[in-house]
Amino acid sequence: MRESGLRWRRVRDAAFTALVTAVSLAAVAPLFHLLWAVFSRGVRTIASVGLIRFLTSLPPAPASKELGGIGPALAGTALLTAVSTLISVPVSLSVAILAVEFPRNPLSKAVRVMSKAFMEVPTVLLSMLIYALVVVPMHTPSAIAGSLALSLVMIPYMTTYIESAMESVPRTYREAGYSIGMGKAEVTFDVVLGAARRGAALGIVMGVARGLGETAPLLFTAGGSHYAYPMGLWWPTDSLTLLIFDFAMTPYKNLNAVAWGAALILVAIYLIIFATVRALVKEVRG
Amino acid sequence: MGRGRDKVFFLTLLPFAAAVVAALALLAAVFVRESLPIFLREGASFITSATWSPSTNPAKAFYGILPAIYGTLVTSAIAVGIAVPASACMAVFVNEVLPRGVREAFSSVVDVMAGMPTVVYGLWALNYLAPALQKFVMGPLHTYLGFIPLFACTPVSGYSLLSAAAILTVMVTPYTFAIVKEAYSSIPLKYREAILSIGAGRFETASTMLGMIKPAVVGAALLGVGRAASETVAVTLVIGNSPSLSPCLFSPGYTVSSLIATQYGESFLYPYMLNALYAAGLILLCLGLGLSGVGTLMMRRWRGLRNA
Repeated sequence: MRESGLRWRRVRDAAFTALVTAVSLAAVAPLFHLLWAVFSRGVRTIASVGLIRFLTSLPPAPASKELGGIGPALAGTALLTAVSTLISVPVSLSVAILAVEFPRNPLSKAVRVMSKAFMEVPTVLLSMLIYALVVVPMHTPSAIAGSLALSLVMIPYMTTYIESAMESVPRTYREAGYSIGMGKAEVTFDVVLGAARRGAALGIVMGVARGLGETAPLLFTAGGSHYAYPMGLWWPTDSLTLLIFDFAMTPYKNLNAVAWGAALILVAIYLIIFATVRALVKEVRG
Repeated sequence: MGRGRDKVFFLTLLPFAAAVVAALALLAAVFVRESLPIFLREGASFITSATWSPSTNPAKAFYGILPAIYGTLVTSAIAVGIAVPASACMAVFVNEVLPRGVREAFSSVVDVMAGMPTVVYGLWALNYLAPALQKFVMGPLHTYLGFIPLFACTPVSGYSLLSAAAILTVMVTPYTFAIVKEAYSSIPLKYREAILSIGAGRFETASTMLGMIKPAVVGAALLGVGRAASETVAVTLVIGNSPSLSPCLFSPGYTVSSLIATQYGESFLYPYMLNALYAAGLILLCLGLGLSGVGTLMMRRWRGLRNA
């Protein structure tokens, strides 16, 4: 009786191990198939066009046999990412400093809760918000509108990361700063952010990576043509993600192929940022 | 003296931070203002009707978003229904099965999945996942279990509620896994030692540990539904975008966010359509904030219990 109970438990443990292993491998399997698909189809497109030409020329006309490039979309993504980073960094830093260095002030508490709430707002709604607030008054979609929408996605992420980096600086460092007569601003910038600069910088990079891959916030705000380079902040612009979204849905084979090439570029940028951040995090911890 | 300087510092930070508060207030104001006309005009039938008929004649235009609400609820429910048990399995796999050296590697792979641009998931699902599901899942289910209303319709194309649910499952799993794993790893070592000391096997250990983090798992499920409901582009690419109301999972449909993504561009052509889309967005916003609020509260209560 005891013997069979033991055997049953062994069998049950083995079956359980097999189950959790199978489920876990199945859960990550899509990533590998996706990476393989993006790589093989992306390389096919880029190889037949040439990397430099793919990155710098205009997309092909629909329904032609030609393949082209993603020049305007790439330039647009660079512009949108740069501007939204410029907007997001000061705001995120301010919110994080208020939250960590003035924790008891009711105003900073409110700001903290509200910046977190933005993380839960569906990103397509941010696009609608900026449409109503910026696109309608300007009578045109624009790079600035797209950047503002992206900033609303990036700020909560950056804030969270910067906050936790600042919170990890020991209380005693701050006290040491005050004891030699520093004010709160000096302690915050010279002591706390000095010690937490690596973590804060990583947070900013994570936020940028997040913004880079977003599509929904740009749907009604950036509004650019896939065939025209952005002419400045106040003009419409394309982005890599918008181009992939539109070209994936078209029935034209040549545009589908360009979408895969663009996806490879986007995934490559994302993976490079991810790997860099990982390497730096290890260095910080180690 | 120092106090005064600190006050100045506080006040210089305030405008930036106030921008965040202002943005949230504007969000509420814009969505309420824009959706009010449609609620006043259609009342509850905006939510309970399945008729989506844009018209340039204001008298004829009518917008009901029941199919989109059904699509959002059913796809998120399926996605979370699979993702949460899978996340529990993965948490056990990482903590109990994998050797210490490769745990980090597995978690990194899941992290890569979590941050992958959503449009890339959409592109992949459109080309591979939806066709594969049509051939290997929808076909057989329809042939053998066609008497169940969920499987009753012929899968004409792969673009359907089921495909949307499937890609949402793939995308939500890393998110729920992160929450469940954090909770699982945070169980104090002494509990684990106590469980092992009475001779518990792997199954007994894992089920006891999972029992201890039940509130976190429920929290993960609620946050996961919020996440799934708000996903836009990947779903738009595979759901087929049709305003028909059918309980069948193999038919094309809408979610609230895919309805917005596909209709917003033309909405200025039709009276009340923009209002209808803002109202749909407002409903989505309330759903998302409500779920995440309850989910976050559960997580916080659980953390409080643990630390007590």
